[in-house]
Amino acid sequence: MKQLILTAALVHLLVLAQAQAKPTKSQAADSIPEVQLAEVKVYGLTKNTHQQLLHYYTANQAATTEDILARLPELNMIRRSSYGMEPIIRTYSSGQSGLLIDGMRIHGACTDKMDPASIYVEPQNLQSVQIQTGNGFQSGSVIGGTVNMKLAEAQFDESRMWSGSVSSGFQSAANAWYETGKLNYSGNRLAVMTNISWRKAGNYRSGGGAVIPYSQYEKLNYGITALYKLNEKWTTKADLLLDDGWNIGYPALPMDVGYAGARIAALSWRNNSRMGNWQQTEFKLYANSIRHFMDDSHRINIPMHMDMPGESRTYGGYASSKLMLNRSTQLDVKADWASTFLKASMTMYQQGQLPMYMLTWPDNNTLQSGLGAIFSKRIDSASLVNISARADVFSKSLTTQMGKDQLSVLNNPVSNIIKVLKNIAVEYSYRFNEQLKLKTVLSYSERMPTSSELYGFYLFNAFDGYDYIGNTLLKPENAWKAEANISGRSGVFQYGLTGYLSRINQYIMGIYQPGLSTMTIGANGVKQHVNLPYALIAGAEASLIVQPDHSLWFINTTRYSYGEDHLKQALPMIPPVRNISSLRKMIGSCAMQAELELATAQNRVSSKAMERKTSAYAIAHLRLMFTGSLAGNPLRIDGGVENLFDQAYREHLDWGGIRRPGRNVYLQFTYQF
Amino acid sequence: MKKFIQSPLYIVAFLSVLFFSSCSKDAVEPDASLDYIQLASGFATGTSTHVELYATDSAFTGYNKLYVLLKDSATGKPVDKAVVTLNPMMDMTTMSHAAPKENPVSTTAVNHFFPCSVSFIMPSTAGKWTLGIQIQNLENGKSGTVNFTINVKAPASDKIFSFKSLSDNTTTYFVGLVEPSKPIVGINDLELVIYKKQSMMMFPADSSLSVIMTPEMPTMNHGSPNNVDPVHTINGHYKGKVNFTMTGFWRLNLKLKSGSTVVDSTHYIDITF
Repeated sequence: MKQLILTAALVHLLVLAQAQAKPTKSQAADSIPEVQLAEVKVYGLTKNTHQQLLHYYTANQAATTEDILARLPELNMIRRSSYGMEPIIRTYSSGQSGLLIDGMRIHGACTDKMDPASIYVEPQNLQSVQIQTGNGFQSGSVIGGTVNMKLAEAQFDESRMWSGSVSSGFQSAANAWYETGKLNYSGNRLAVMTNISWRKAGNYRSGGGAVIPYSQYEKLNYGITALYKLNEKWTTKADLLLDDGWNIGYPALPMDVGYAGARIAALSWRNNSRMGNWQQTEFKLYANSIRHFMDDSHRINIPMHMDMPGESRTYGGYASSKLMLNRSTQLDVKADWASTFLKASMTMYQQGQLPMYMLTWPDNNTLQSGLGAIFSKRIDSASLVNISARADVFSKSLTTQMGKDQLSVLNNPVSNIIKVLKNIAVEYSYRFNEQLKLKTVLSYSERMPTSSELYGFYLFNAFDGYDYIGNTLLKPENAWKAEANISGRSGVFQYGLTGYLSRINQYIMGIYQPGLSTMTIGANGVKQHVNLPYALIAGAEASLIVQPDHSLWFINTTRYSYGEDHLKQALPMIPPVRNISSLRKMIGSCAMQAELELATAQNRVSSKAMERKTSAYAIAHLRLMFTGSLAGNPLRIDGGVENLFDQAYREHLDWGGIRRPGRNVYLQFTYQF
Repeated sequence: MKKFIQSPLYIVAFLSVLFFSSCSKDAVEPDASLDYIQLASGFATGTSTHVELYATDSAFTGYNKLYVLLKDSATGKPVDKAVVTLNPMMDMTTMSHAAPKENPVSTTAVNHFFPCSVSFIMPSTAGKWTLGIQIQNLENGKSGTVNFTINVKAPASDKIFSFKSLSDNTTTYFVGLVEPSKPIVGINDLELVIYKKQSMMMFPADSSLSVIMTPEMPTMNHGSPNNVDPVHTINGHYKGKVNFTMTGFWRLNLKLKSGSTVVDSTHYIDITF
């Protein structure tokens, strides 16, 4: 079933381009909602509209992965730069959620979260995004949920041995170039796909005309993936994904990135059989290494030059399978393991003195082993029960004497930390009829403190201007969570409405420690991560898709979030109400799309986090898509104007009060062969 | 011997051994983890005893841990029973003075060495330092003295300072840094030694003061958390903890009090590593 979804998802990507040429595929795409319902059964409250939204927005060939993720109602993006935006689920922090690439754990190598794993996936690598929220701990002990970005695979195509695409485009706001190439080989048992994409952007122009300094970047993303059919049942897959970035500016931070590189490799075996008791069995082994070098050499008026390199190495693996107990009952099991090593340091240079060297992440290792299972029972034709459970054993350790010596100045233990984390969720869904389906989830989940929260050593947070130190005495957070979703379709309307409420106990937050002196010149003070009694996070998401016929789409998504701590004070980084509408009309081989993004003001801010208020804004985009033909192959032209009225605006989760890009005219040519 | 070539310190040690042209590498070192160099050697007149003086570094202005090794001049075997008395003397032509010192606490050598210390209070550029070592060899019953000329260098930053007490404006104290001698990023043992100047020749240990120590990085304008002020333990030694959060240039600001009266708050000791 899953394989079918994946294929269908890819097909959907090509729908616009090939709608006329290959009408049969377009019909295949229409079957997606039904297929996705099956996926929902497994993964919980993923709305059936969700994949549609993804496919809708990936249709813009000029969009970045971040552009696409930002439009999914469950995701918010923390923005420190035009590059490397950090996706978070709802308002849960990145430490409370999981961000996986193809099921692989990848830990950023930057202490300032400049490098979320999502930057390593370009739209042409991205097959689908799976967002698990309600009972989302099949992939880890998390309280916010998990985003898994599935990588595109090589395609078996009986009609063509070689196929591919090249694409070239330009965006005016940042004088940015975006070039991609993709080549697929399809043999009898072997299929190989290789792709490359290159982006280079200058400093962008914000709404109203001001150029934002230090917002440039350049990156190269390239990879190769191969599928080999071992026999009728088993397929083996190898992935190699590489990403290099240079001269990446972070206007909201005091430093930029000189170089950042990722090396990601995986080998997996999977059983595609849908026969027998055990189905869709998969084994995977993976390794990745991230290196990250912060750089302040382009900044002026810095009090002191410093180098801040970081590295992250992860090895891991998992085994997963479905056990079909009977026609109405199945058990999904997954065992996974990962070991992550992190190290980051800072060296400061003052003329005439010895360099000042310290570890910002004292060398540390996280060993995590988990076992999760989802028991699904269809009670009758209308109701379904899912019970999911997971346990993780975490062992975190400082691996060098230097790291232990250094961290010991904080007077906290530096011995190994071993925790067992437990999660359980019960989901009940009931289908009244085609117009109304209800899902409810109650869950208890736990999450491990992050390495920064445990071991971070005077990590400067440019958001509130405090140095943060770790606390090895932190307890894991635990959360009680309720989530309800109604969805359905009626005629041309398809809707979804989700509400959630969670109480997070032992909520981890940085609290000001007046007795400690700052490390960073000009910092406001030192905060240490501590467990607060609790915090509440709640919110709602709504989506509406109207599709009267194949030539007209209207999509509207709205989200609202709320958060408070145990003193009933606002949590930081809570976005205001946000609404995105998009209308697409296809006329012949052309498509026109108008988008409107609205956000209310956010005046409920956290004074403790020195958070600033954010004004309401409304921005509009206009997009045009044209599919022609060149030498018998499709030629696709995407063009448009983003922020049509050149509004000067920023979103609430943007750091540093930096305005977003102003009017941006873009043009992207894509040729498929 | 393998390590011998690897470390530049060993080369320094080797060169200084050559310089003093008296080689005794077969001696058992008091602490194998440290690199010892010989500062001087010679015969103590009338004792049939060869005296060798070791330290972990060449002599400097400040608290110097010294190790005296005695050998029977006939057999070359270590002499482990002796009364060793130090007599450091600075000759400044117009005047001379002694320096604070700690004679070996025991007449029995530790691993053949007699640990002791001298706190040189000025460098040799001011005059000529002589270290007289008086030996009473308890194994052969003979007594005598050897005088070593010691070249005392001024370190890059002062490891000892003196101040006149603010309470009476006359009493002079010397405060020297003992530890950390090998600072690390982390928690370091802090050990200071305090002497009172009774006369030009007498510098008894002082246990009457209390010390408040605040580390800072002057270039960064920050300190470090969870330091422990040194308190008196024995013989003028004050022990506490100093925490360094990074390598580089650190300054230990010292405030000294007698009871509740501040007697000095203007001095500091710099540590760079």
